[in-house]
Amino acid sequence: MSARYGMVIDLDRCTGCGACMVACAAENNVPALPPKATDRTGITPMLVHKVSNGQEGAEFREAFIPVTCMQCEHETPCVAVCPQQAVQVDPATGIVMQMPQRCLGCRYCMTACPYHARYFNWWDPAWPPGMEKTLNPGVSVRMRGVVEKCNGCHARLHAAQEKAAAAGNREIDPRDYRPACAEACATGAIQFGNLADESDPVSQAAHSTNAFRLLERLGTEPKIFYTSDRPWVRQLAEPHPARGDKEVKHG
Amino acid sequence: MELTRRDLLTWGGGATAGLLLTPLPWKVLDDTSKWTQNWPWIPQPSRAPIEVKRSFCTLCPNGCDLRVRVASGTPVGVSPGPQSALCPLAFGAHQLNWHPGRLRQVSHLGKAASWNDALAAFRKAAVEGPIAVVDAYPRRAGSSVMENFARRQGGTYCIILSAEERSLAPYAAWSGAPVTSLGYDFEHARTILSFGAPLLDGWGAPGRVPRLWSTGALKLIQVEPSLSRTANAAWRWIQVPSGSEAALAAGLARVLLEEHISPARAPLPPTTVAEAAAQTGIAEETIRELARTLAAHGPAVAIAADGDPAVAVLNFAVGSIGARGGIVRRREGGPSYLTADNLNGHFRAVLIDATVPWDFAPQADAEVFRFAAWNGGGSRAHWLLPAPGFLEELTDVPTAPGSAVDTYAIAANLSTPPADVRSPAGFLAQVDSALPSVEDIIHARCRELFRTHTGALQGEETVPVSRFAAPERLEEALRTGSVWVAGPPRSGGLRCRFEQWPQPTAPRATADWTATWVPPVLPPLAVKLYRESSLREPPAGRSI
Amino acid sequence: MASGTWADIRWIPRGAERTSTGRFALWLAPWAALLALGVYAGWLCLYYGLNQTNMDNRFAFGLWIFLDLSIIALGAGAFFTGFLVYILRRTELKPILNTAVIVGFICYSGAVAVLMVDVGQPLRAWFTFVHPNVHSMLTEISFCITCYLIVLTMEYIPLILRNHELQKVPSFLILEHRMHNIVPVLAGVGTFLSFFHQGSLGGLYGVLRGRPFAFREGFSIWPSTFFLFVLSAIAAGPSFLMLIAAAVEKVTGRPVAKHELLRRLGFISGVLLAAYVAAKSIDTLIWLNVTSPSVGFAPWEYYQFAPFGKALLFVEIVIFGLLPALLLLYPRTAAKRGWLLTGAAMACGGILVNRLVLTVQTLALPTLAFDEFLRYFPSWQEFATFGGVIAYGVILYSLSYRYLPLFGDK
Repeated sequence: MSARYGMVIDLDRCTGCGACMVACAAENNVPALPPKATDRTGITPMLVHKVSNGQEGAEFREAFIPVTCMQCEHETPCVAVCPQQAVQVDPATGIVMQMPQRCLGCRYCMTACPYHARYFNWWDPAWPPGMEKTLNPGVSVRMRGVVEKCNGCHARLHAAQEKAAAAGNREIDPRDYRPACAEACATGAIQFGNLADESDPVSQAAHSTNAFRLLERLGTEPKIFYTSDRPWVRQLAEPHPARGDKEVKHG
Repeated sequence: MELTRRDLLTWGGGATAGLLLTPLPWKVLDDTSKWTQNWPWIPQPSRAPIEVKRSFCTLCPNGCDLRVRVASGTPVGVSPGPQSALCPLAFGAHQLNWHPGRLRQVSHLGKAASWNDALAAFRKAAVEGPIAVVDAYPRRAGSSVMENFARRQGGTYCIILSAEERSLAPYAAWSGAPVTSLGYDFEHARTILSFGAPLLDGWGAPGRVPRLWSTGALKLIQVEPSLSRTANAAWRWIQVPSGSEAALAAGLARVLLEEHISPARAPLPPTTVAEAAAQTGIAEETIRELARTLAAHGPAVAIAADGDPAVAVLNFAVGSIGARGGIVRRREGGPSYLTADNLNGHFRAVLIDATVPWDFAPQADAEVFRFAAWNGGGSRAHWLLPAPGFLEELTDVPTAPGSAVDTYAIAANLSTPPADVRSPAGFLAQVDSALPSVEDIIHARCRELFRTHTGALQGEETVPVSRFAAPERLEEALRTGSVWVAGPPRSGGLRCRFEQWPQPTAPRATADWTATWVPPVLPPLAVKLYRESSLREPPAGRSI
Repeated sequence: MASGTWADIRWIPRGAERTSTGRFALWLAPWAALLALGVYAGWLCLYYGLNQTNMDNRFAFGLWIFLDLSIIALGAGAFFTGFLVYILRRTELKPILNTAVIVGFICYSGAVAVLMVDVGQPLRAWFTFVHPNVHSMLTEISFCITCYLIVLTMEYIPLILRNHELQKVPSFLILEHRMHNIVPVLAGVGTFLSFFHQGSLGGLYGVLRGRPFAFREGFSIWPSTFFLFVLSAIAAGPSFLMLIAAAVEKVTGRPVAKHELLRRLGFISGVLLAAYVAAKSIDTLIWLNVTSPSVGFAPWEYYQFAPFGKALLFVEIVIFGLLPALLLLYPRTAAKRGWLLTGAAMACGGILVNRLVLTVQTLALPTLAFDEFLRYFPSWQEFATFGGVIAYGVILYSLSYRYLPLFGDK
């Protein structure tokens, strides 16, 4: 039975610590880029945005929104536009798989993604001498000129599949497959699971009326759901409002 | 037969056309897809099989448990262990040992030297006068070696308190108990009133308060001049001007005592509620309401992050001293240690452990022997001595500061250290051969645990100590990642006395988000947080 | 005009007047320097990587994509003139045909050269042909542009082979004659290919569901921008040729840009431009009132950010769209050379503004509620490569003009 892996992220429990970002980079052999890199040229397949409610003084509050590839299911924008099918939706898992060895680096997919979840290797990766020994086996290192993004910690899925196969099972044990971000989250704000499995609590949370997705009306059907009890945070799922001087700012 | 230019051109044209009909050019083109798959100079990970091992993070005294993925003797990934959550920096810690700032060579006044030079100088100093030893992660086996050395040499061993212990210092003063034996019983608290302690972002183990808070069982009230991440996420943020925290504490105590909504008994503070409202800018009614919340939603405990006695004293009124959910004293006694702030006297030399913050400055005229795994730059130490780095030495993990129960664990070494590093314990053993080794101390501690028959080992399952057949079995379980956990603290084990309401002390500067991180350098991947994104501010005064 | 011995006189068409070799070299020198700078900048990008540019993850497309789109739109004169001359038999445009072919060749080869620097892995450019994605506009563009560049090369070669020195080789003479015979077929093929890739370049933006500023509904799989781009390209092509012809006349002193020719090209450009303005206006109204609001994006919100304010929309459609169409069509202005050329320049300008808006404004605009409006300014390497392509075009055309009978033997 094919799975549809997705996440439910409780924005009321995210403290913005950034553990998910570092764990993601470590798992996926993302290098620390040269000092010239900025927040617009960096590679952060998991990126936590700091946002505010636009109020002043004692009413000012922030929230933190972790954003990864939304694993869009319907008319996936990046899959539709890649000229050489270097990105595909895996029918067995629902994960949008990027193949860096086929990527031409034309960056059309990056213009197509409304969630800005794709990152280009503007530099060749480099590590200080000896540090390459700490690279995660099972995850290839990408050179410059290719696009990359969250791929659902595919090495961990492979490991779970190998473990299941070694035990003679067809299906993986869900406890064996947990992406780095969900594992790293200290408060359990990021929950990962199979949305196609009705018994999975993540699937139930995703289908509850409390869950929402970013830019839902674009019709891309993302599989990353968010929950929050704060109305101003829920409002952030809508498109950019451009409210003039009361703009919701990206911190 | 003559070969003309035309013949050559015809032949060339024909050959080209013919070549296109062979597989050769197409195969070469296809091969470029393999050549371009990756450039030869791009590093590739090892192909060795991965083993998952258990250990404990030793980069700060919280000692969070880890699952470490290891391939051919090198850690290739860090995950939280079953009991814990990790701080953001821990996930990049396995790369720290190859940080460009890694110390690999002894240096004396900026020039390369050898261990023998350092030993000679240290032996000479040890003969000439008393040596001060400074340790920021006390009660490890290695700490015991250092303490032993100082005692035998006629010097002084002192410690640097962690932030959690500094906040508990007033209760140590009021009770006479060692500050290192006190803790907060957050696990049974329902309300925490934090005066400036960044509980959700860099105070105590990340798996402790953040986890309790995220279950919704804990009401967090943050008193702070500006909106920290903790204040932002708290149930209530009470914004007060810096320096007026003591006034708020006094006002709350007054309400609790005057309205008799707290069962505790304590002298009334000199400040009235109206005066507290005036000094803090918080309305009187809000102060009253806050106090009633503390009483109604107990057990409640107040934290004075600065260790300001005038704020800590609020706990008398709340009734949390020695009570469940409040300030407790753990069963294990343990000695009182001298703190580095109170180090007096003239010393010939100072030996600083690698766990001590980089900006610690000992007295001016002593010869400084500074152990460190990473060079934070600008050190005024005479000797920089390369120490083992992350998971490079076997050590043990004493109880985390501020914990309500005693724990003990052994952090296995999972990474091969560079050839020329030495821990202080190893160094001191060469100066004084009568000193015990770290391994011996660990063996002894395990035997002692076995002998006491108390507590349990938490691993895959929880096993009471009494079920272990031999101390070696117990030690083996500890070495493979189990944690010894003591029974709950004695109720009423902490008794504090105070006569009069303390004067407030000056507030400390707000720590930045890297405050709990001890090494002077950050893991390379930390740049994802402040340079390759705008999630956090760049760390202040830290070598990156 | 001549003085002394001309070193390359044997290559110059017989009886034709050309400036001295020295003066020609002097003319070429600054362009060669600009080309060298462009090549150096391109090499820097290939060697060090695309961090040499100021593009980033939010501005994944920048100056070069704008250059590619504009240059291909302006080079549309090549296929359209060929279509008019060979398919529709408008022989009065024949004098400009050779120039159109060369300008087309320059535009397309220049675009491909820049594209090879713009992509992260140029050695993988052929993957598109092996793993084509039928849903992707970029696959269509890659195929069509490659084929069309081959077509243009095949149209250019006969022009080169008309050089009388080359024609001394009999096989070249025969080749030139044979190829000349199939030129109408090439023109037809070129028209077909061009229709699709000019359109697909518009489709490039129109299919971006995630960028409601650019997204358009349309006909079947083709968004309206597909058709608008074709229309604007064939409107701009003749205008660009007018400008080129006038420039050639200015530089060489030879009367190649006759008024009648200019007027006819201007008329064609004007009619198409007027049709384009009408279509674009309807499309814009639909987008403002239906398409964009249907996905929750209030369209006038896009124009909150300077310098991409509402005025720019007005400038694009009216000032650089309707106005040049009127200038080119209204008999009294069409009778004057100055107005014709002004209209042509404004028409080309309008197309450039349109491509700029779609490339840069689309990416600058926020999509998520917590995005910001972003700014981008190209690095010197990007400008230099751009300049290098222009220099390449001038040099190639200058060489072609000098050594080939582009405007008929004399």
